[in-house]
Amino acid sequence: MGSVDGLMTRGSTPSPQPFPPEEGGEGARARCSNPAVSATSVTKHFGATLALDDVTFDVVPGEIHALVGENGAGKSTLVRILGGVHRPDRGTIAVDGRPIRLASPHDAIMAGIVTIPQELRLVPTLSIAENMALGDLPVRRLLGVLPVVDRRRMRAAARAQLARLDFAPDPDLRLDRLGFAERQLVAIAKALHRCRLLILDEPTAALEHREIERLFAALARMKQDGTAIIYVSHRLDEVVALADRCTVLRDGRIAAASRRGAFNVADLVHAMTGRDEDRDEIAPARPGDVLLADADDRPDAIRLRGGEVVGLAGLLGAGAERTLRRFFGLAGRAGTVTVRGAARRIGRPAAAIAAGIGMVPGERRLGLVMGRSVRDNILLPSLGRLARYGAIDRAAGDRIVARLMDLLDIRPRRPDLPAAALSGGNQQKVILAKWLAREVAVLLLDEPTQGVDVAAKAQIHRLVRDFAARGGGVLVNASDLSELVRLCDTVLALRQGRITARMDRAEGLDEKRLYAAIGG
Amino acid sequence: MSLAQRSYRSMLVGQAPALTLLVLCVATALLTDRFLSPLNLTNILVQSSIMAVIAMGMTFVIVGGGFDLSVGSTAALAGCVGAMAMVKAGLVAGVLVGIAAGALVGLANGLVIAWLGVNPFITTLGTMVLVRGLVFLITGGAPVGDEGLPAAFVAFGSGRLLGIHYLVWVPAVLLVVLSWILHMTPFGRRVFATGGGREAAYLSGIAVNRVIAATYVWCGALAGVAGVMLAARLQSGQPTAGEFYELTAIAAVVLGGAALQGGEGTLYKSVIGVFIMVVLGNSLNLLDVDSYWQRVAVGAVIIAAAAADRLRSRAKN
Repeated sequence: MGSVDGLMTRGSTPSPQPFPPEEGGEGARARCSNPAVSATSVTKHFGATLALDDVTFDVVPGEIHALVGENGAGKSTLVRILGGVHRPDRGTIAVDGRPIRLASPHDAIMAGIVTIPQELRLVPTLSIAENMALGDLPVRRLLGVLPVVDRRRMRAAARAQLARLDFAPDPDLRLDRLGFAERQLVAIAKALHRCRLLILDEPTAALEHREIERLFAALARMKQDGTAIIYVSHRLDEVVALADRCTVLRDGRIAAASRRGAFNVADLVHAMTGRDEDRDEIAPARPGDVLLADADDRPDAIRLRGGEVVGLAGLLGAGAERTLRRFFGLAGRAGTVTVRGAARRIGRPAAAIAAGIGMVPGERRLGLVMGRSVRDNILLPSLGRLARYGAIDRAAGDRIVARLMDLLDIRPRRPDLPAAALSGGNQQKVILAKWLAREVAVLLLDEPTQGVDVAAKAQIHRLVRDFAARGGGVLVNASDLSELVRLCDTVLALRQGRITARMDRAEGLDEKRLYAAIGG
Repeated sequence: MSLAQRSYRSMLVGQAPALTLLVLCVATALLTDRFLSPLNLTNILVQSSIMAVIAMGMTFVIVGGGFDLSVGSTAALAGCVGAMAMVKAGLVAGVLVGIAAGALVGLANGLVIAWLGVNPFITTLGTMVLVRGLVFLITGGAPVGDEGLPAAFVAFGSGRLLGIHYLVWVPAVLLVVLSWILHMTPFGRRVFATGGGREAAYLSGIAVNRVIAATYVWCGALAGVAGVMLAARLQSGQPTAGEFYELTAIAAVVLGGAALQGGEGTLYKSVIGVFIMVVLGNSLNLLDVDSYWQRVAVGAVIIAAAAADRLRSRAKN
């Protein structure tokens, strides 16, 4: 993957102006063919909210067209209109130049528009081949009458389609034997045979480096075959590396559009937010006492001081995530850990929390009880402390919640709203608020900004730095190395459960070296 | 739709159980004048009282994300064992033994479900049959304590305080105490969190297994209370008592707006759910509806309640 050079903040000089909206007449390759799918002057309201305002957008065969924007900018709405989920209030959709009415997702699929959502719609207990044939099972007649599934034909078809993505698993394998990345390839392959336009919504959110490369290779193959691809992503470095064209949405309008080579990450951020990328200068850490350390001698032993943000970098399975889980009592057998000088065995989360450690898990549904209110979620780890005469002190709880919702700028300021109703960035802030309410000394963060928009990401980074500045210690795992470089004082590279390199901000943190150190 | 309209509507949806009960009562009262007679109303209260105690325990379990089919058998066990103890060792010992027997069944359910991770439906289906078998083994199939039950106990089963049956006072007092526990204490909030998202609750430091087991102990103990009340009312421990109580109780809790997937429910609304079930049966009786048809109607109401539960959660997403 050639994205390292284009990663976030380094290498390229940011242009001072947002790049201008595209005008006609450029002689790019893509111009030669007519759009596979186009949306013209599309407007969409949801109640009083204007989600899309006169948006014109197209994608031509053999092109990857990236769609970026902050949460709520209108990306999902546009993608859902193309996928037949929503109908536009005004404007037209055309496939191969012919206007078409997409009244349902079924219509869109029939028109060759296939969306691969973040949550794959596959059946884990069926085989790869069955999953791919589902809805259109090949049938043969036993003894000329009895219908049975033609397994041989099904297998052959599956194999042929998977081969187009350079992926050759045994088609009889049950789907739940595959990892997420491979399942995603199955979902894409399933869509291939009648696909004119492939829409990928945050396809790399759950992938690690090597898997992303594989996905990109598969997309390159599809491009060659003439498939049009819309690529929705928060990871701007990927967009720069991958997209032939990029359209930026802001507040339901097109804020910018440009061709490959004419934009970089800073341009995108500027167009998305209307201001330049936040690049807070991080004050060098003044490390305090050791807050958290392994007492045993081990190849992945950690020492974390107060005031310090330490990053863990590694490929999937290298042990970065496992290290976090270990300190939160989730790694099976408990080792001995020194917390603020006292030796403790941490065998379950409750013990970790009692020792002053909080964790923000990689999946938000693990961090939040989605059906319960923001208020209940924030107070969840602190319930025992809030009890007075057996009952919860409501007023004290409300004060804590109000203070933290202000401090973390959790929107909307509605403590009674169920956590599920909040945006990803705000949900992540609620999880942080849980631990701030509990006044933990150490935070373990697993992918703290995954699926979070640029503005919320910057806010979360600032909150984490503030927490460290007040003497807390933070251990972060993130697969996005640019995030670690931005956020951490020290980054530890892990390989197969061992720490193989240590880099400090003082000596300069560098993505390329980090990338090499983790073996990517 | 404005915010005010929306909150007005969500308030209406929130009070759907009470409104349903109101409509049911008004309709029945219009159709027959016997419904509002003091005798009939007292009858409804007494009939509801035992079921209300069971439904409150069931609310704990369902809010915690579980399910308990064994409450009917447990009530029979508590009634019989309690009556036996009472004959031998007096009133207080009998009551305590009955409740303890219920709590013990609940503890067994809780241990198997929380720590072994067996599906609650299967576990409590098993205990439902198993406990009923135990009751017959212990009693030999005959009622316990026809003679020899303390006079005070028999008086408790039919007597009144301030014009209201003792049997009705029990759930009234329990409702206050249990509402406090479920809705105001840390334990109660932990039950909600565990039912709403077990993993998230665990990662927030909640001992989810202990919380889940505790909900079954509460449910069992309350089934025990109900069993003792039933013995007082029948003036004996009946080994066949309490059949189908589990279904009525679950239906009542769901009618009261609790979510079957856990994390949602209100204690007093479950009691309203009980009243809906009892008033429905009562009104069908008063209107001389054929008893076979009554069963059909009650079954339909249970399915309707579960369907409403699905519709509610779909509307939310």
